[in-house]
Amino acid sequence: MLEALRQRCRKLLEDKTVQLIIGYGQTAAHDPAFPLFITQPDEVAQLVWNEQCFCNLTKYLLKPEIRALGKPAIILKGCDERALQVLQQESQINRAEIYVLGMVCQGVGRPRAPKCESCDVPVPRWADEVIGTPHAPREDQVERGPQSDLSRSERSTLAPRYAALETFLKKSPEERLAYWKHELSRCIKCYACRAVCPMCYCNRCIVDKNRPIAIDTSPTLKGNFAWHISRAFHLAGRCVGCDECTRACPAGINLRLLNLALAQVGEEEFQFRPGMEPSAQAIIGAYSLTDKEDFIR
Amino acid sequence: MSEIISRESLRTMAQDWLQQGGRVFGPVRMESDLVLYSPVSDPQQLLLDGWIRPANSIKLAVLPRHEKLYEYRLKGREVELTPVDLPTAPQLVLGARPCDAGALPILDHVFNWDYRDEPYNARRQATTVVTIACQGHDNHCFCTSLGLGPDASTGSDAMLVDLGDGTYEVRLFSEKGQRLFAGKTQTSQATGQVPSGPENILDLDAIHRFLSGGFESSRWTSIALRCLGCASCAYHCPTCHCFDMVDTGGLYGGAKVRNWDACQFGIFTMHASGHNPRSTQAQRQRQRIYHKFHIYKEKFNHWLCTGCGNCTRNCPVSLGIRPVLESIQKDFQ
Ligand code: SF4
Ligand code: SF4
Ligand code: SF4
Ligand code: SF4
Repeated sequence: MLEALRQRCRKLLEDKTVQLIIGYGQTAAHDPAFPLFITQPDEVAQLVWNEQCFCNLTKYLLKPEIRALGKPAIILKGCDERALQVLQQESQINRAEIYVLGMVCQGVGRPRAPKCESCDVPVPRWADEVIGTPHAPREDQVERGPQSDLSRSERSTLAPRYAALETFLKKSPEERLAYWKHELSRCIKCYACRAVCPMCYCNRCIVDKNRPIAIDTSPTLKGNFAWHISRAFHLAGRCVGCDECTRACPAGINLRLLNLALAQVGEEEFQFRPGMEPSAQAIIGAYSLTDKEDFIR
Repeated sequence: MSEIISRESLRTMAQDWLQQGGRVFGPVRMESDLVLYSPVSDPQQLLLDGWIRPANSIKLAVLPRHEKLYEYRLKGREVELTPVDLPTAPQLVLGARPCDAGALPILDHVFNWDYRDEPYNARRQATTVVTIACQGHDNHCFCTSLGLGPDASTGSDAMLVDLGDGTYEVRLFSEKGQRLFAGKTQTSQATGQVPSGPENILDLDAIHRFLSGGFESSRWTSIALRCLGCASCAYHCPTCHCFDMVDTGGLYGGAKVRNWDACQFGIFTMHASGHNPRSTQAQRQRQRIYHKFHIYKEKFNHWLCTGCGNCTRNCPVSLGIRPVLESIQKDFQ
């Protein structure tokens, strides 16, 4: 797969289909792979593809410095591609100006990341080309979740996706509050979770509004709850569950649990999963003249 | 000949310290794969081995991420200010790495330069630092390039060298260290062995020379392409010390507090006018490198770095200082 990927990237640069490859590089075999930007055909040997390719590279499609480099080809996993879909729906990118190299994915991390255990998008669906053999059995034989074209009446079979959340929700409200206090007391407001999130693209994030201050900037329990509640609200119906925020958090805070709660409500109440179906209207951000709430019409 | 102490005696020492109203900081396991320096309330929480280095740094003992500077209250047209007590409670850091302790003398310069920072100095004076010599390193460590190493004594009051049998050789470097261990050690024939540490890979003087003329270099743009502009590097760096001072509270009263701040945030240099002198990530990355390897060196004759590698370890895209310095260095080799 890696050879095929490198050859395709070389070709895309040589025939000037694109000017830039956004892919993965790596220093040592067991270190996490990092984003790599390649403009010369001879540099493709630096590209890697393996289970350390965690980063959701779609974040870089929004950076002005990257845009300045010309039309990109971007290497995406199925879960990353959901972010691409939302960015397109939210008019942040021009899909025609991006070449997508979709990678058939065996999962990331060792042991596999939690998101991979119930992944239903191992094969990118809207890529310009897919590299790898679709439907190849995964090395680790993790049982697959339902496929992405799952009909809505089958929702009762979704449990694996929300398993961690359901276990958590069995705790009492007091236990849950104690858990979040313990977790969020460690948040230092480094905003790495925001920095990696492809859906966090506001020019000025609400926590950076300081004239006057909108959200208490202190990394105290109060300030941290304010930050995480705002963050969750702004990602409701938009988070694609790539888990990059959770991976990035240096304090080891399980933001995934909050995101799962948002995702479950979206799916159960609105039959909507962000970035899964291009034709589905977003829960937040879609405008309808027939909306049942008249304050919004 | 050496002086030794058992792990259990170290815990007893921490317990005594806590009972006398002091604070104890040390490595604590937070998650299966995460060790952080943290205040401890029970010495059993202290995890004295089994890690390369904690993901954060001991600077939290001298420069907490959040602290109150004074309180204010508005009364009609008057403003009433109430100072807060200086933090003078004795503090013990047990289980620092040499690359953490080595940062303290570096920080002392900036907090005693044009202004003597009272809370910083109060904490610093009240703090005794006990390091544990490193028995291993990972491929992010580069302390030897900064003149430190697995048993460097800079900034430590005492150092423990693991003897592998539940005891440590105790090396004393200061009066604080002597006071702490007085009467608590036993004489032994055993002496600890410390490996030589990571290879010295950086020519910092050459990097400094490049920086002297490299401000307008086009490489900053390519270096910064990967940077996402968070503070994971700075907040876990033992030497980074920037902070923001803000008013918190309601209409009629509250407190002036200071919180950590970081140069990679776009808002860090945003002026009230809306103008931002460092409006691109390339400018911000350049600033980070200049501050550490040029500005601080010129001003205080010190690199603002101990080579601990935390910036790269914590970076979600594995950037941090070392890959940047290596890429600069590659060009003139
Ligand atoms: S969630 Fe699916 S597509 Fe994403 S990394 Fe895991 S297995 Fe690959
Ligand atoms: S909130 Fe986290 S999981 Fe959701 S899209 Fe952003 S980075 Fe991915
Ligand atoms: S990455 Fe973690 S520590 Fe940093 S702001 Fe987000 S939750 Fe807080
Ligand atoms: S700049 Fe990086 S390597 Fe240097 S002291 Fe700070 S965190 Fe450690």
